[in-house]
Amino acid sequence: MNKDIEALIQDFYAHDYILNEELATSIFLLKNLEKPLLLEGNPGVGKTMLAKTLAEHLGTNLIRLQCYEGLDVSTTIYEWNYQKQLLHIKLFEQEKDKKALGNKIFGMDYVLQRPLLQSISADKPVVLLIDEIDRADEEFEAYLLELLSDFQISIPELGTITAKTKPLVILTSNRTRELSDALRRRCLYHWVDFPSKAKEIDIIAKKLPTIDEELATQVVTFIHNLRKSSLHKPPGIAESLDWAKTLLLMNQKNITDEIVHNTIGSVLKHKDDVEFVRNKTVQEFLVPVS
Amino acid sequence: MQAVQKTFRERLIDFTIYCRERQFVLGPQETRDAFAIAEKGYALDRKMFQYSLKAIYCKRKEHFDRFDEMFQRFWSRYYEEKLEQRQKQIQQLKKEKDTATVIFLGTEFKVPKKEVKEQEAKETVGANESIRLRMTDFSKVDVTDKEKLEELAEELFHQMSMRFKRRLENANKGGIDIRNTIRHGIDKGGMMLDLAYKRKRKEKRKVVFILDVSGSMDTYSYYLLRYVMVLKKYFKSLEFFTFSTHLTHVTPMLRANNEAQILKQIGTNVNSWSSGTKIGESLTEFLSVYGSKFLSQKHIVVILSDGLETGSVTVLKEAVRTIRRKCKTLVWLNPLKGMKGFQPIQKGMVNVMPHLDAFESAHNLDSLLKLEKVLMDV
Repeated sequence: MNKDIEALIQDFYAHDYILNEELATSIFLLKNLEKPLLLEGNPGVGKTMLAKTLAEHLGTNLIRLQCYEGLDVSTTIYEWNYQKQLLHIKLFEQEKDKKALGNKIFGMDYVLQRPLLQSISADKPVVLLIDEIDRADEEFEAYLLELLSDFQISIPELGTITAKTKPLVILTSNRTRELSDALRRRCLYHWVDFPSKAKEIDIIAKKLPTIDEELATQVVTFIHNLRKSSLHKPPGIAESLDWAKTLLLMNQKNITDEIVHNTIGSVLKHKDDVEFVRNKTVQEFLVPVS
Repeated sequence: MQAVQKTFRERLIDFTIYCRERQFVLGPQETRDAFAIAEKGYALDRKMFQYSLKAIYCKRKEHFDRFDEMFQRFWSRYYEEKLEQRQKQIQQLKKEKDTATVIFLGTEFKVPKKEVKEQEAKETVGANESIRLRMTDFSKVDVTDKEKLEELAEELFHQMSMRFKRRLENANKGGIDIRNTIRHGIDKGGMMLDLAYKRKRKEKRKVVFILDVSGSMDTYSYYLLRYVMVLKKYFKSLEFFTFSTHLTHVTPMLRANNEAQILKQIGTNVNSWSSGTKIGESLTEFLSVYGSKFLSQKHIVVILSDGLETGSVTVLKEAVRTIRRKCKTLVWLNPLKGMKGFQPIQKGMVNVMPHLDAFESAHNLDSLLKLEKVLMDV
């Protein structure tokens, strides 16, 4: 294995994130090619956590932009500080050169920086996480294109603002809708799948060092069998960890029908899924996974 | 030295073309990025080279799933043939650090031998072949073409769905929202600096697809099913039913996250797959059970069937007439229409034709892609 990749995997491991070689290569390219990385995958597979860990690994700030429908320039890039502008106008009411006054109040001092502008104005490269981009509108994707390809933002009154330092951009998507080809073209891509059984046991052991190995194996086997079933919302790694933590708090050594009945709410978040599991025996979900 | 480097570049360009021909959307930027990683010496490590190209060339999960196999197929012979030679060179390169990458790349990636090139050419789906596959009737696809058609269908359906989406998008801003503008102005001494806009109402298209999965439609129903699955991503109000001797509401099964799971669920739950055809009875069942919910003057109903009715033609005619009356537009897609000399003279079709707004073929990829226009026009 390439030494840089190996070092990356080890460093992430020290920050409680278990990377595989393939994903580590994508992170390596993100750092070296200075291209954004688009991570797609089911909810709960660790996409957001990856960005947080990257920021920790680099010892830099994480700027997170949580996307939602209706997100626009004023909440993501910049907004004029109208109150400050009005006060300035009042203070300099007698000023004769109105053009200069206009130029002044539409200057950089009157801009409220939002996450995207903050990320390119930072003195030190930051990690910019654009989380759940599939929730935002297509218009917002269009706003992003300039930033993602050229690391610059255009503000009509100020012109083009080029990045002082290039942020490391990670975009995540749960694939609730298709993203545009234009956006995809500007990014590196990685599909984050559910981890293998061995890797998930490692994750649980790493996060919960006091857990019994047998219990961790049972939890992971159960969860992997659940993922194979047709559920509305298959459990992610976060759910595995929550459940393992719950069982640990309850001093359980094994998973029993009663325990499943009482605690399955920390794994499944849909009524039909809960009923599906409650109607089966625990043994059906503890069949070894190939 | 330059010529040696060019050889590797040619090889990498060949791979880019190979991927492009397999529907990967790759521009000059991707090729530049690939060169950049190779020039940094990352091609020395086969896995790293593979994963790097994977991150650069893949843009969607479907590409991601196929890439490893494509990489193996294309690069394997080069890595294997030169493995021994490479070991020696790496040792040598350690001594001559500065020229390492260039020397390695030059000996590692030669222009493929003539016979290799010919073999690859045979494996390649070129532009002409894409056109041929688009025009091939689904019922006449042989085993060798099946996989290529699958890949092509996946990409073309994706492109079509993106076009759908763009056309369906409306500008978000409507007129000025005076009430909210005034409210925003309160803390600014009543000055209306911060204009609020009404959100333009998006036109919602409601579509109902009713797919015939009887035995006579066997060769078509799989592709038609895939087609509807793609459309489901972009029509939020899309309802999907299958029928043969009775009707099944499939929409709830489309909720699963991945395509394979959806197909598996449909395969498990649609019991009447490949059985007889009772179009009239199935449409009557649709009307009585789901009609009040999924039929209105906003609904477009699309029936995908060959019209070979084995039940009562009167029942079929009455059901189609009622559906037409209750919906905005009724479209019938018949795979047989693509056959040379086809006339809708079967009893079933003759009786329903007067009630249809559109009657189109759906026998190959090309005809399915043309439906885009039909659906947008209605």
